[in-house]
Amino acid sequence: MEPLVGISWSFIFQILNTILIFVILKHFLFKPVTEFMENRRKGIEDSIKMAEGKNAEAEELKNAYQRKLDEIKEERSEMIKDATKRADQRGEEIIKKAELEAKKLIDKANNDIAREKQKALNELKEQISGLVIMAASKVVEKELDQNKHEALIKEFIDEVGEAKWQN
Amino acid sequence: MEGAEIIFTLPILGIPVSETVVNTWIIMGVLTLFAIVSTRSLNRIPKGMQNVAEAVVDLFNNFTADTMGEQQKGFSPYMGSLALLLLFANLAGLFGLRPPTADLNTTFALATMTFLIIHLGGMKKKGIKGYLKNYIEPFPAMLPLNIIGELAFPVSLAFRLFGNVVAGALIITLLYGALQSLSGMLGITIIPVFQAAIPIVFHLYFDLFSGVLQTFIFVMLSMVFISMAVE
Repeated sequence: MEPLVGISWSFIFQILNTILIFVILKHFLFKPVTEFMENRRKGIEDSIKMAEGKNAEAEELKNAYQRKLDEIKEERSEMIKDATKRADQRGEEIIKKAELEAKKLIDKANNDIAREKQKALNELKEQISGLVIMAASKVVEKELDQNKHEALIKEFIDEVGEAKWQN
Repeated sequence: MEGAEIIFTLPILGIPVSETVVNTWIIMGVLTLFAIVSTRSLNRIPKGMQNVAEAVVDLFNNFTADTMGEQQKGFSPYMGSLALLLLFANLAGLFGLRPPTADLNTTFALATMTFLIIHLGGMKKKGIKGYLKNYIEPFPAMLPLNIIGELAFPVSLAFRLFGNVVAGALIITLLYGALQSLSGMLGITIIPVFQAAIPIVFHLYFDLFSGVLQTFIFVMLSMVFISMAVE
């Protein structure tokens, strides 16, 4: 039994024990855990920083794409407007051209009709003159009497008449 | 209350090993086991014992940094070990062990460690000349007073802790004795009715509250004096 208040060999033991437990806890607890937590803190810090960087980059890219999209939209609407305008112009041109051509065609047809008419008239005249000559020769061949004369004229008129009325 | 019992004697030199030392070894074993088991596999996502280890280490790191300053963070392992050892030693009474801090040898050993750190740290920081100059300030006549003041610190540190723990243990022992005789007077000897519930309050105060408080005071004072010496 040791006295309640007194210094003994235990003092030396307790000094050594204190140093020993300090060494043990430092080596097994404080050093590894502190290092580990510091590393983890750094890791998390890095991760957050990286995520923030990525976020900013994404935001930037998004803005850029938005801008590009807007540009494209504008361009598209302009293009559509342009195309519409051009199409309108072209349509008008085509219509004008068609009208012009139609007019030309009509003119040409009119000309043709006139020419044909002229041709027909000329033919008719030729035929009439042929008929007249034929009639004249018939008159010369036959004796002229009142009845025959009249009949001849009537015949002549009948023959000619049809052609003539067609004019 | 008497001093620590001698458990056995070392065969070499016949050095006696007291109950205090054996109990300290038990506490050291528990702490070592905790340190090894809790840090066996450190995970990025803490789990189980790792949480406890991280909380303990973080607590002492922050406490040291707050009290001693960021640049004295290196003292954290020593202060943490000191605090854990003291805490377990003070709470040993709860497990029926004689608290190692109820022995002047233990408290003096710890106070001596702090004392050595203060003076060796002071010498290292200010150089031998600057350190010795401290003793003749503000004027040389103050030398004896300064020396007494320096020596008073570890003595007061050791006796404060020792006194508190011994007093607590003493009162608890007396209380158990009183309750036992009370049971005897009433003729209840088979079941210790009174000893079962009443001491809880006293254990709470003298072991838990006082033990934690004295640990805090001891570590806090060590930190303050060491940081004053090495600043």
